[in-house]
This record gives sequence, C-alpha cells and structure tokens, in this order.
Amino acid sequence: MSVQAAPIATTSTARRALGQLAWTLVPAAPFVIVTLIWIMATGILNPSKETLPPVTDVLASIKELALSGQLATNVVASLYRLLLGSILGIVTGLIGGVIVGLNRKLAESLNPVVVFFNAISGIVWLPLMITWLGIGNALAVFLIWNTVFFIVFQNAALGVQLVPEVYEQGVLALGGGRWQTMRSVILPGALPYILTGIRTGLGFGWRALIAAELVGAATGLGTMIFDAAEYHRSDIIVAGCLIIGVIAIAMDRWLLLPIERRTVRRWGLVADTEKER
Amino acid sequence: MSLVSVQHAPAARPIPVPTGWAVAARQLRSVKILFPFIVLVAIWWAIQAAGNFPDRVLVSPQRVFDTMVLLISRGVIAEYVSTSLKIIGIATAISIVVGVPIGFAVGANRYAARSLEGFLRFLQGVSGIAWLPLIIIWFGFTHATTLAVVVYTLIVPIIFNTMIGTRAIPEHYGLALRSLGAGRLRLITDVYLPGALPSIVVGLRLGMGYGWRALIAAEMLVRQGGLGDLIFGARTSGQIDRIIGGMIIIGTLYLLIDRLLVQPIENLTIARWGVLRK
Repeated sequence: MSVQAAPIATTSTARRALGQLAWTLVPAAPFVIVTLIWIMATGILNPSKETLPPVTDVLASIKELALSGQLATNVVASLYRLLLGSILGIVTGLIGGVIVGLNRKLAESLNPVVVFFNAISGIVWLPLMITWLGIGNALAVFLIWNTVFFIVFQNAALGVQLVPEVYEQGVLALGGGRWQTMRSVILPGALPYILTGIRTGLGFGWRALIAAELVGAATGLGTMIFDAAEYHRSDIIVAGCLIIGVIAIAMDRWLLLPIERRTVRRWGLVADTEKER
Repeated sequence: MSLVSVQHAPAARPIPVPTGWAVAARQLRSVKILFPFIVLVAIWWAIQAAGNFPDRVLVSPQRVFDTMVLLISRGVIAEYVSTSLKIIGIATAISIVVGVPIGFAVGANRYAARSLEGFLRFLQGVSGIAWLPLIIIWFGFTHATTLAVVVYTLIVPIIFNTMIGTRAIPEHYGLALRSLGAGRLRLITDVYLPGALPSIVVGLRLGMGYGWRALIAAEMLVRQGGLGDLIFGARTSGQIDRIIGGMIIIGTLYLLIDRLLVQPIENLTIARWGVLRK
C-alpha cells in the first residue's frame, strides 16, 4: 500500500508544481506569442524595414540608444516633466478636492465648471498653450498638471463626500477638534478614492505627456519617436513604444501599487483584489 | 481595480410633471449651472480688457462668440464635427463588436485571463498616440490612421473590463444553466452578457474618455479634418478666437456624448441588472 501511495503522492505534487509553474509563467505567453508572430511576419512577408523592422533591429536600436546616452536623456526629460506636473496636479487637486468635498454648497456650484474643464483637460489645451508658453517644459508640465488635477480633484471630493457623517460625529463627540476629524476620519476615509485618482491620473498624464512631446518639446520620448518618423526609422519608433510601455508598467507596479498596498490594504479599507482568483 | 475609476452616475430621478413652480425651479437650476460660467467669462473679459493683449495672445469672449457664430453659419463647424464624430462612432462600434467577445472568451478561462491581464496593462501603458508615427508610416496621413489610433485606445479598456466583469460572475450561474441543458450561446446571452454588462459599460465609458483625447491628439498631427485639426490649424495662423471656440465645442460635445449616450446606458443597465459592485 505504502509503496503504491508514494508515486501517486509525487505525481500529484509534481502536477501541482507544474500547475504553479504554468500559473507564474502564463503572463509571459502573449508577449512570447506576439514576438513569434512578429518574427514570422518579418521572415515570411519580408516587408521593408520601414514598414516592419525585424526584432533584431529594434533590439539593436535600443542598445544603440542606451549606449549613446540618448535614451537616458530622453527618459529623464520625460520623467522630470511627469514628476513636476503630477506633483503639482496631486497637491492642488488634493487640496481643492478636500475643500470642495467638505463644502456641499461650494461643490454644487462649482460642479458644472469642473465637469466642463475635465472634458477639455490635457491635450486639448495644446494649441492654445503653444502660443502662450511656447515649446518646452512649461507646456508639457501644464498639460500634465491639467490632466492629473481634475482626476485627483474629482476623486478626492467624492471620497470626502462619501465618508459617513457618523464617524465624524463620533470623533467630535469624543472631544476631537476639526483638525483631528480631518486627520483621523476624513483623510483615511477618502484615501482609497484619492489613491485611485492618483493612479488613474498618472496613467492619463503619461499619455498626455507623450502626445504633448510629439509636437511641443525638444527632448523626451515622444519627441524621439516623432523625430524617428521623419527619417522612417521604424526600429526607433517601436523601441520607443516598448520603452514607454515598460516605464508605465514599472511606475504602476513599483510605485503606485506598493503605496496602495501599504496604506489602504493594510488598513483594511478595501477588499484585496489580488487574492481573488 | 485600477481601471474602474470613480465615475459615479447620479441616480436617475423620476421626472415630475412640470407645473408652474417646477418650471420656475428648473429655470433657477439652469441659471445656477450657468452662474459659474458667467463668472468665468466675466473674469476672462476683465483680464482681456485690463491687459490690452494683442489678438495673437488673447481675444475677448465677444470675438470668440462671433467667430463661433460665423463658423457655424458657414457650415465649417458641422464638417469638422461630423468628421470627428464619424471616427469616434466607427471606432466605438468596432471596439464593442471585437472587444466584448474577446473579453468573454478570455474571462471564461482563468489561465487566459491571467495571461492577458499583463499584456493588456502593457498595451494600455503604450498609449495609442505613441504608435501614431508608425501608423502614419503604414497608412499615411489619412482617416485610417486616426481610426486605428482611436480603436487601439478604445478597445483595451473594453476587453479588460469585459474580462473582469466575466470573472466576477459566480461560477454556479453558468454551471446551473449548463446542467439544465443550455448551449454556449444561451450561456452568453443569459449569464455572461447581463452579468458583465455593468463592467462593460464602465469600460466603454473609460475607453471613450481615452479615445476622445486620442482622437483630438491624432487629428492634430494627421491634419485631415476633425476638431483637433481645427484648433491646431488655427494655431499656425495665430487665430486664438478659433482655438478657444474649438475648445468650447470639443468640451461641449464630449459632455453631450457622455451625458446623453453613455450615462443613460449606464443608468439603464445598473437599474435593470442590479447595482454595480464596487
């Protein structure tokens, strides 16, 4: 009996280990498939390099851009703008959103304007701002601020409004002051919404930045790929797109998700979505 | 999830039969909506009057209004607007028809869902506008280029949210129906579609927000008509009145689409199939 039981146990653990392995490897599958299709397409259809650059060309141009320092310059320029614009957007949006969220009358009267300006936030300002600010950092920072501000503002205001009044009254009844209610009830209560706002806002901001850089900047990743288009250097365009995607993912995964995990999830304010399978 | 951003639709209010008082109240409400805009225009006017700016920098609200009236009466606006609306309309239709089935197919299998999640996130990180230079090389400066960029932008949130919506449906529903002899089609129409619909609509709304911006940005660069072309083209000739007028039209149109088209669908689906789970 025991002799027979052993191999069964090992196969089931082996199978479980295999399943575990498949589970961890499976996110890579689409990337591998797309790369294979890409390699096959360049091999079989044999398109011109301008239409579809081979994988090796793209990798070579990433290496070349990295070694020449061009990549670092452009990435730093883009990230610097994103950082400046988002910090401005988050700070102003947070302050404005909390004030408006606490004051229902103000919220009601301001709402139409906020809704309207949210509808034209970001890239729509580009033509007007090019004439006012010229091409450069100020333009890109304004567009990012404009994008991030409205999303953070609306989410913060909503989050504050949704904090049950009972909690506030509880703290007040225990002798807490206005500042204490703010710190221990309103801000933690609104935090999930605020963080969602920041995460969504940064996503929109990154897009707006790339779009702005296509025409309104002298350096940056957007400028890099748009300049490459003039010389029909598709390999640089694809390389740039890949880098843009990697940075966006890295930002979300290593910056925003950990912040969310450390604050909101630890305090048990939202259900952990990662657990559900 | 991060993609389901906060976009609460106000609950549909029952519309009372308009009596004298109700009409007056509604007029008061519309004045209240307009009031902050009136303040804003007044500030704008004051700055313009006080600063004595040249026309290339800032023009008066009056000038913008006159330009808008002129552009509308000559049919210029209608042409630019119809170009933009046509592209966003076609892009939305394509994205729903293609994206929703993909979302169902992927959502039904947990390995497929997990494998596609990271990939979709990556695609969402590379905004459609970043591919624009490459797509211009492929399709040239045509509407096809703009359409490709907008579809790319719109379809990702739709697939993603359909997938999430499908994953959230309790498995027993599908199993119950299958044990009663339902086929695949029946499963889709009776379980997946109603179960995932609130999530799909959220994806649609988010996608249209992204898509509309991508459309404007693409039109600015492709320069083949559309509202983005209108405001970006006016920049080269320094016509601030056209730029500001165009911005007002872009904002108003977006709000109209969102309020008259997307939000009613959201209200309808949520009201019919139960509250959207947060």
